[in-house]
Order: sequence, then C-alpha cells, then structure tokens
Amino acid sequence: MATLIKATDISKVYHKTAVPVHALNHVNLTVREGEFTAIVGPSGCGKTTLLNILGGLDHSSSGKVEIAGTDITTMQDSRLIDFRLHNIGFVFQAYNLIPVLTARENVEFIMLLLKRNKKEREERAKQLLHRMDMSDKLHHRPAELSGGQQQRVAVARALASQPRFVLADEPTANLDSASTENLLDLMAEINREENATFIFSTHDQRVMDKAKRLVTLRDGAIISDISR
Amino acid sequence: MLVIIAWRNVWRNKARSGVVIGSIVIGIWALSFGGGFMKSFLASYIQSSILHETSNGQIHHPEFSKDQDIKFSIANPEEIIGFLKMEKRVRKFCMRSLVNGMISSSRQATGVRIVGVDADQEAGVTRLDSLISQGQYFSDVSHPALLGEKLRDKLKVKPGAKVILTFQDINGMITAARFRVVGILHSSSLAINETSVFVLKSDINQLLGIPGAVHEIAYTTIPETDDQDLARSASLKFKNVKVESWQQLSPVLTFMQQWMGASLEILIVIIMAALAFGIVNTMLMAVLERVRELGVLMALGMKRSRVFVMIMTETIFLSIAGGPLGLLIGYATISYLGRYGIDLSDYSQGLEAIGYSDILYPALLTSDYLQIMIGVVITAVIASVYPAWKAIQYDPVEAIHSL
Repeated sequence: MATLIKATDISKVYHKTAVPVHALNHVNLTVREGEFTAIVGPSGCGKTTLLNILGGLDHSSSGKVEIAGTDITTMQDSRLIDFRLHNIGFVFQAYNLIPVLTARENVEFIMLLLKRNKKEREERAKQLLHRMDMSDKLHHRPAELSGGQQQRVAVARALASQPRFVLADEPTANLDSASTENLLDLMAEINREENATFIFSTHDQRVMDKAKRLVTLRDGAIISDISR
Repeated sequence: MLVIIAWRNVWRNKARSGVVIGSIVIGIWALSFGGGFMKSFLASYIQSSILHETSNGQIHHPEFSKDQDIKFSIANPEEIIGFLKMEKRVRKFCMRSLVNGMISSSRQATGVRIVGVDADQEAGVTRLDSLISQGQYFSDVSHPALLGEKLRDKLKVKPGAKVILTFQDINGMITAARFRVVGILHSSSLAINETSVFVLKSDINQLLGIPGAVHEIAYTTIPETDDQDLARSASLKFKNVKVESWQQLSPVLTFMQQWMGASLEILIVIIMAALAFGIVNTMLMAVLERVRELGVLMALGMKRSRVFVMIMTETIFLSIAGGPLGLLIGYATISYLGRYGIDLSDYSQGLEAIGYSDILYPALLTSDYLQIMIGVVITAVIASVYPAWKAIQYDPVEAIHSL
C-alpha cells in the first residue's frame, strides 16, 4: 500500500513555561493507506501533540511532515486550512458537533465548505448517517443525542469530505462500553470495506484491541511500533 | 448554511438576546420619539414665526430694510398685487404701512413699530383677529389700535383707553395722534406681544401724509411651495422691489432648521453608540462561550474569513432583529401624538416667552425613519467587527482544548 503520511524527525518543544517542555523528540512515523492505527501511551506522552502535527493543526519545532507527498510543515495558515478540509477528517474526544445544527446538517457542513451541491450533500449525509445507524436521528440536534450517537455523527462528519485519512483523538474517552464497542465496530467496518485510513490516539484497551497497528509513545518518543 | 448557523446562534441564549433586542427596540423608539419631539418644537416655532411675523414672503422697497424710512414705499403696488393674484402658489396677501414711533399712555411711554394694516387682508394673512384676548378686532371707532398683552401691561392700559402715537411724517415733522385701544393681542411672538402697535393703514397713511403708500406686502403660500423659488421668480419680474422668502427674512429660522437636522443626527449617533456597546458586549460573551466551537470550525477547514463573516452576520441579525419593531412602535407613538399633540401647558409661560406654542405635534418624515434604520444597520456592522475579529484570533488547537 502507498505511503500516506511520512513524519520525519519530528520534535515539538513548548516554551510556555520557564523550563521548555519537550513534547516530541525526533519522532519518525510512516502511515500507509488503509491502516487502522492506534497511537497509545500514558497521559502526557505526546499522543495528542503528534496527532495535531500530523493533522496540520499544530506546527512541529523541527522535522517534516509529508501527506501524500505534500510537505505541510511549511504551509501557510490559510493553505493549511484548505488542505485539512480536503484531506483530513477529525473526530474529537468531546464530539464537538455544531450545537445549532441537526445531525444531518452537521454532516453536510463539511461538504458545504467544499462547495458541493445541495443534492449531493443531502444524499451523502443521509447515506453516512444510515451507515452509522443514525437514520432515525437525522433531524435531531446534538443536545438531543446521547454521547455515543453524537460521536457516530462526528465520525460521519469526518468521513463526509472523503478525506485521505481520519484522525481521532481519544474518540471513546467519554463513551460507555456499549457505545465504544459499537463505534469501534463501525469504524473497523468502514476501514475494512472502504480501505479508509484511521489513526487514533488512545489509552483505551478496547481501541488497542481493535487496532491493526499499535504505536507506543513514551516521553515524546516512539518506544514500540507493532503491526498485527 | 452560514446564515442559518448565525440566525440559530442568535437564539441560543434567548434571554440574553432578548435583552439586547429589547434595548434596541427601546433605543429606536426613543430615537423616533425624541426626533419627532425635537422637530415638532422647531416646526411650532417656524410656523408661528411664518404665521404671525414674516409670512411666507415679503416685498419691500430695496432700501427699506436698510433705513426703514417711510419715504421708501413700494413704487408699483398695484402691479405686484396683480401678479400675486395671478400666482397660483400665493394663497393670501396683505399690504402694510410701517413707521417707527413712540406710544404713550397716561402712565408710561415706549418705542414701538406702528403697523398700518387693512383689517380684512391682515386677518387673512396673519390671522391677527384670532389673537384677540380682550376687546375686539378693529371696530368702527375713530383711530382704533391693537396692542399685545406685554405692551398693555407696560403702558397699564386696557381696551377703551386712549394712547398717543408720535412719529415723523413724510416732511420730517413730528406728528402725534390719539388712538383708542380696541383690542389686546395674545401671542407667543415677541414682536406682536411687546414691540408693535396695529392701526388701520388708512389712518396712519393720512397722518404720515402719504395716502395710498405701501411699505410692505406680505403673502402666504399654499402647502409644499418652495418659498425661495417663488421669491426668486418674483424678484426677476420686479426689479424695483426686494422680494424675500421667510428663510431670507429670518436667517435664524434657517439656521435652526439646519441645527435641528444636525441635532437629530447627533441624537442618532449617541443612542446608536450606547446600543453598539451593548451589542459588542453581548457578542463578546457569545464568542468567549464558544471558543472551542470556533476552534473546531477552523480545525475542520472553515477559513478565518468565513468565521469572521459568520460572527458578523450573527451580530447584524441580533442588531437588526429589534429594528422593525422599534420603528413600528416609534411610528405608532409619533402618529398618535402627531394627531392629538403633547400638552405642555404646564410650561406654557416659559415656552411662550421664547416664542413656542404650548401644544406640540411630533412628526417625522419617511426619510427620518429611513435615516434611523440606516443608523441601525451601520451600528450593527460597526458593532460586529470587534467580536468577529476576536473570534478569529484563536489558535484552533488551543481553542479545541479550552474548557
């Protein structure tokens, strides 16, 4: 499979305190298309920082990140926003749906930013929400949905733009066991059937069990990288 | 969808948005009422001045306004009267003889302007007859005279009393004649109330030795007449007289009119500035409450310019939501008070002293309402800039992880 993400010698140093904090130390990581990867490790090991850098949300202090051959480390803010829109789907720990939009509108929103026409938007949103077993909740606002349901809408939103890969930062942290199982099964199914690439950050054993590849971080460095 | 998001966001916190919209409604109502009240104050003063003092226009000998010598009478009054009768914009006219002199009673004496009038013509133009508060409007007695209440008090006379008018005739001879006070005038006009005596033109002309002389022709016009244009066209026709509209005769009225227009604009700016601070405060709170959401939008791929437009749209919606209701209530208030008036009779003494009527009828033109609405829109746009700018300053990563 083709290389999708290539992170070379990534370091991230925060200077917000008197003593600089080294969040990532010379990390090298390659992700191929269709992988179902979990980045694991204890709190503060640099999982979220790595995910943010891979997703173009944050800049590394040194090193290079290439996505499908495009170097995003030197991209300007406005180009990076556009790049994220076209290439990367995000799922957040706290769901972060737009509270004033319904489930369907939340999924449509990304496609609206991509200037897709109304018919295409509506059809794809319905199709994705159906896939997420949310067909009966199309017109519900986030406040009317459970945590698990909101996270399924968030996954549908992440997939709406047909991104090259989906980054999910602790997607199951706020979910109960049943919702976690359900969500992971759905994402694994999409990964399997559509060859969609997922990268999680997690310290949830259930996610680790489902992942095909486990990248373990400790103190900002990769200490193991196991494919199963 | 940006518009939908912005509109729904306005109603996310109904109580807070309700307070802002309510303050905008009250602000616009206050603006409409304040503007209408101020305009009615001026309109009352201008109408009173036009009716009782300047009329819509006056015609004099070109030298009369400089010297006011009785020798400067209008050379061809018949020709001018013929023109005024033919001119469709002219409603009524009257001819006057004017001379400065002295009035004395058995108790007091003071300088006055003696105005010789034709009783019927004058009543048609200045409605002088409607101002009689005591006695009657000219009568068959020999040499009748009308004077204002203040002058009456000064001279300590009442209807039936005799007064002596002293002045110079056409030959420069001091002439004194006895007149009988037949009526007392009640007016908010200082000129009528205190400094003028009205007598019959025929009586005074005879005493001046200039029978048939006319020093002043005053005319009124039909509503919506451009008085300055009429004065210009009459001036072109009659080169040997000076035709002036009320704006030229009383520049202070023109100034007051301009000043009132500026005052309304200042009032709009003050009220809108107060509203703008309220709107900015509310929107800043809304932005601060939604830092994470804004971060997510930017993380997902929404450009900062779009976030800026979204917050601006939201602010504009919030600002103009109360506009139509405020204008409607303002319009209803002005319409009602414009019909039934605001009774300021409790303050009438003070108002009359400065020439105002004690009942005011507020009125606003369509253009005034439009000006207010434009003011609201401009305020909305200005008030939206800072919250929108603030919203795009966040770093998506920090915003997403904010509480």
